[in-house]
Amino acid sequence: MTFAQTVAILMFFLAFFGLITSRNIVKSIVCLVIKETSAIVFFLGLRFREGILPPIGESLSQPLEYIADPLPQALMITAIIIGLAVTAVDIIMLIYLTHETGSTDWDEVKAKTKARVASLDYE
Amino acid sequence: MLTYFVIAPILIAVFLYLLSSHYVAKILAIVVQAIFLGFTFFLFMESREQAIITVVGGYADSIGIILRADMLSSAFVMLTAFIFLITAIYALNESWSKLYWLLIYIWQGLIIGIFLVRDFFNVFVLFEVATLIVAVLILFLRERRSVFDGLIYIMVNTVAIQFYLFGVAYIYMLTGTLNMDIAAAVISETDKSQLILPYVLIMTAIIFKCALIPLASWLPKVQGIPRAPSAVAAILSGLHVKCAVFLFLQFQFIFEPVANHDFFLGLGLLTAILSIIMAFSQDDIRLILAYSSTAQIGLIIVGLSTNNADYGSLYHIINHAIFKTSLFLTSGMLMQIYKTRDINKITGIFKHSPILGISILLSILAIIGAPLFNGNISKYFIMDDIDMWLYVVLSVVNFGTIAIFVRYAFMLFGNPKNASAVLMHKNKVVSVLLLGIFSLFTGIFGVWIMNFLFDSQLSVSVGSYIEKTAIFAVSVILAVVLCKYRYRLTKQLNYVQALDINFRGMCISIGLFFAIMLIFVGFL
Amino acid sequence: MSQTLMVLWILSAVPILFEQKIMKMILYLGAYSLITSIVFLIFGAPDVALAEASISIFSTIFFIICFEKYYDLKDTYIKIKWHKFILPACFTIFLAALFFWFAPTATPSTYSMELYINNFMNEVGGTNAVTAIYLGYRLYDTVFEALMLLITAIAISHLSWHKEKTTLEKHRYIKISKQAADIVNIITPILPIFGIYLITYGHLSPGGGFQGGVVLAAFFVCRYMIRSINDLPVVLLERFEKLIFSSIVLLAVFLVFLGIPEYIAMDAPPIFKSVYLVTMNMLIGLKVALGFVMLFYRFITIERV
Repeated sequence: MTFAQTVAILMFFLAFFGLITSRNIVKSIVCLVIKETSAIVFFLGLRFREGILPPIGESLSQPLEYIADPLPQALMITAIIIGLAVTAVDIIMLIYLTHETGSTDWDEVKAKTKARVASLDYE
Repeated sequence: MLTYFVIAPILIAVFLYLLSSHYVAKILAIVVQAIFLGFTFFLFMESREQAIITVVGGYADSIGIILRADMLSSAFVMLTAFIFLITAIYALNESWSKLYWLLIYIWQGLIIGIFLVRDFFNVFVLFEVATLIVAVLILFLRERRSVFDGLIYIMVNTVAIQFYLFGVAYIYMLTGTLNMDIAAAVISETDKSQLILPYVLIMTAIIFKCALIPLASWLPKVQGIPRAPSAVAAILSGLHVKCAVFLFLQFQFIFEPVANHDFFLGLGLLTAILSIIMAFSQDDIRLILAYSSTAQIGLIIVGLSTNNADYGSLYHIINHAIFKTSLFLTSGMLMQIYKTRDINKITGIFKHSPILGISILLSILAIIGAPLFNGNISKYFIMDDIDMWLYVVLSVVNFGTIAIFVRYAFMLFGNPKNASAVLMHKNKVVSVLLLGIFSLFTGIFGVWIMNFLFDSQLSVSVGSYIEKTAIFAVSVILAVVLCKYRYRLTKQLNYVQALDINFRGMCISIGLFFAIMLIFVGFL
Repeated sequence: MSQTLMVLWILSAVPILFEQKIMKMILYLGAYSLITSIVFLIFGAPDVALAEASISIFSTIFFIICFEKYYDLKDTYIKIKWHKFILPACFTIFLAALFFWFAPTATPSTYSMELYINNFMNEVGGTNAVTAIYLGYRLYDTVFEALMLLITAIAISHLSWHKEKTTLEKHRYIKISKQAADIVNIITPILPIFGIYLITYGHLSPGGGFQGGVVLAAFFVCRYMIRSINDLPVVLLERFEKLIFSSIVLLAVFLVFLGIPEYIAMDAPPIFKSVYLVTMNMLIGLKVALGFVMLFYRFITIERV
């Protein structure tokens, strides 16, 4: 296991700790972002070594062990975009909820929204 | 060639969306769906001879993305096309904007993509896009109170899918490829101790998507959203969750050296029993259906985890998609007629509209496994040839299902007190009746259809069939008694009904599930 | 050196978890993202670093500018109860211990990496292996990623309930100080040039359609920050984006799914391959730029309900 992998796993659990303790929705979303980046760092750090070269241009003529793996990089660009897309939707929903309830606290928001959903009837 | 099955719905969706006339777009949508269903049938017939493999872009198969249609996946593709056609007919008269049709067709493309693709990372991408689409569709009618549930749904899905991403990273590290077939070949030669963590990471996410019990709470939450379109709720438990069940089966094959069947057997049973208790305690018809979905998925997982009942489970996936779609669609019609979702306030469906009553009755008979119906055949093969204790437990589970739906069936009788005179749209009646008749049809010719779909050599033995029919009859009588005396349990059931889990709790349960599974697979 | 940076990276996340002021937490997130992109650089992944850096601008902006407009973040505190951290901390440490116990230790396989490195110049073209995979071997993923962006745009315009009330005056505009405005003024004209460079040279050097597109979109954000105006017709943008999306899918279908690379790319002169890559990059760049501009404008025009 490389050092980069160890660090990424630690970060993953740090963010997980944030998720299970967070009482605030903004903080939960921030922790999700961190968790996402930890997975990305892990993916890119699989073959990490000091002074590794990007798989671009001249450095491609070097032996394989000195070049970074291009596939995870292409994948992680996709993962970054997906992460941002999900975050953006999260934030827009959160903005709506704070409009309605004036709070960003999980329990408070829940109490204020759920109170109105009690009835099963429609108007 | 297979890429067309994924890309075509998406392309058509965009094309129809750009079309100016709303009316033409809807009619075209139905026509295109029908043609598409025909194509999927041809795909199925072709793949019966030999699995079809397409490398996207025509590169070497080890570095490109591979789509593969074998008999199983093409059968599911056909099912997807069928269910989407029916739900499209159902939603034909709604005056929703074109956005609905755009999203629903893209969703179809994604579901078919998950059934066909043989690439670890592409599954992640497809699931993420599908998650977002479900969130938009579920909140489509802008029910403001439900945004909270929508937010939880998206966030908790993201948490789970990140476990999958880590698992994929390990798979890539061990095998050097993302192609499932090549990876499977490498994995079969890899040291077992290396595989435990990737297996558990991936399975955590997949079980979350399957909605098994410690991680199931998102599905009822989403389906219980007050004004979520019925068609969306139907597809969600009919097909969207089945993608995950399909992937569960695939990953069990890929991780053959470490695959643990006992764990999932127990998990499936736990899910089935707890969901039945949850379903029995609810008053909201949507939630009853949602929890019964998780119970049925538990049953399917049990079937897939026993040694010899695969075909029954696979057929149950198809059957469950058919009758649960019908139940969800009819629940939407009931909500329109009675203006409520409270099961106690809905009475006298037969008197109000007999055709609707008949289609609900057909689906109920199918889900409880009445003789001649499709649920009966698949449950017969799930419970065929298994250990005695499991047989007893599954009989109890089936009794629970019967109890839930006997209570559901009480809605059919009596006088329609609260009913309003809503016009019954022909397209809605046709679509649900079609599904009801289809579940009868797939029941009567069940064994033949199973042999056709899965190329198996199954047959029903008369002795055990009579035995199971007797058990069924006894269960129905007991269930009627239980439902009659349900009011005595009201206090306890209300307590169960009020159980709720918050976002933190969901994250903890994901972590807990991960830990338990890791310990179970790793140490035992 | 690289290990120090990684330790710094992990330390930069700690204050986020224990910060009580939301505004500060978000600023820490910005710093964290910056360090992350430097980490990506030392991993030999300049493409990802560029993507992360440009994306982090947007996520921070979504958090601050957009959220701050509707909700007073400055006064919001997260109550932290330290004694409630003990059990979760034990649980997390237990999970992490289990994870490390079972973590695979095999040396990473280079099976497909060899194939990519050896073949991409002939099969796809260009000298940037990442772009070759992104636009060639795994274009299928890229199509869905474009789809994701489209659906996000739809989701945001759908969930922001902007049509029901039109009271634009209620917006609180973000005031930035004069010095900051001067800096932004200097940066702004550089952005489009940089973006176009990233797009057109994406197949030869770090960069590509996506990164360039985000940088182009950042131009509009800067413009908004200086002038605080809301003058882009969002509906027009939306329609335009849809057209771009259909064109990207069509391109994907005609170029890749019909197997044209099989016939042309192998024997075609390099110039054809370059034309293909640049065209794809430009399309993706345009699509991404429009998508992000749309997201941004949607965010800043949500009505106060």
